Amino acid sequence: MIIAEQKSLEELKSLVGTAEKVLVVGCGTCVTVCFAGGAREAAITSASLRMSSKLDGSPKQVSDVTVQRQCEWEYLDQIAEQVGQVDIVLSLGCGIGVQAIAEHFPQVWVVPGLNTKFLGLPTEQGVWAERCAACGDCILGLTGGICPIARCSKSLLNGPCGGSEAGHCEVSPDIPCAWQLIYDRLTSLGRLNVLLDLQPPKNWRTSRDGGPRQIVREDLRLHIEED
Amino acid sequence: MDHQAEEFQVSQMQIVAYCCEHCAYAAADLAGGLRIPYPSAIKVVQLPCTGKLDVLMVLQALEAGVDGVMVAG
Repeated sequence: MIIAEQKSLEELKSLVGTAEKVLVVGCGTCVTVCFAGGAREAAITSASLRMSSKLDGSPKQVSDVTVQRQCEWEYLDQIAEQVGQVDIVLSLGCGIGVQAIAEHFPQVWVVPGLNTKFLGLPTEQGVWAERCAACGDCILGLTGGICPIARCSKSLLNGPCGGSEAGHCEVSPDIPCAWQLIYDRLTSLGRLNVLLDLQPPKNWRTSRDGGPRQIVREDLRLHIEED
Repeated sequence: MDHQAEEFQVSQMQIVAYCCEHCAYAAADLAGGLRIPYPSAIKVVQLPCTGKLDVLMVLQALEAGVDGVMVAG
């Protein structure tokens, strides 16, 4: 899932500025699960902004609504009326949700309430860790299901590097060495021979190096453009 | 501040007390049975457990204008 963190109340107030009518929009998918921008967080943010602006002597009208997914037009259509009644939308979606609102409601000023961090999972309650870098050319089949792109600080394809010490990364002792994890896992699976295949330099054009990415599935499109 | 003025202020206050039904709420019940008075400012809200308390409930009470929130459990 996409993992995000909420911005501080001070930053939210600064982003909202002098707008008087504010709509806080939560998202019911990834950021709900990571406790950053779901219905509960939207209600808390809304109440905090109301009380804070009242204490500052310029009370704002702040309401909140949460959609199932901010990144799909169909769900955004459901809040069109509410969006049209405010001066500013504070999105508690990930960066995609904020941009979807901006794209879907061109006349509305929208600001982000979260910092979108990474693609990851909860390793225990209250702890989230990065697992995927969306490089566009998955090599997990070569590494025993552990991603060296996302989890090795240097994204090495033929690790570990000299900075790996007792299973930890030189960047921080809190970071397990991805290549140590790969080695241990392949050993336990009896598949160490997988590592004998040297990997050539990765083609990063499938990642951000190729510019903004897009997937077109002609089999799924409803309207195929004519040449 | 003399005692009378302090009493007056307390009587004007509104304190919401979120109480666990298994301990604090039962204690308040017992206090009532024993005719032990407590300030009328305290408005008790019974919870099945204080673990049920959400920060949103505290914010809602404060936003509604109460002077304080007490959690007892």
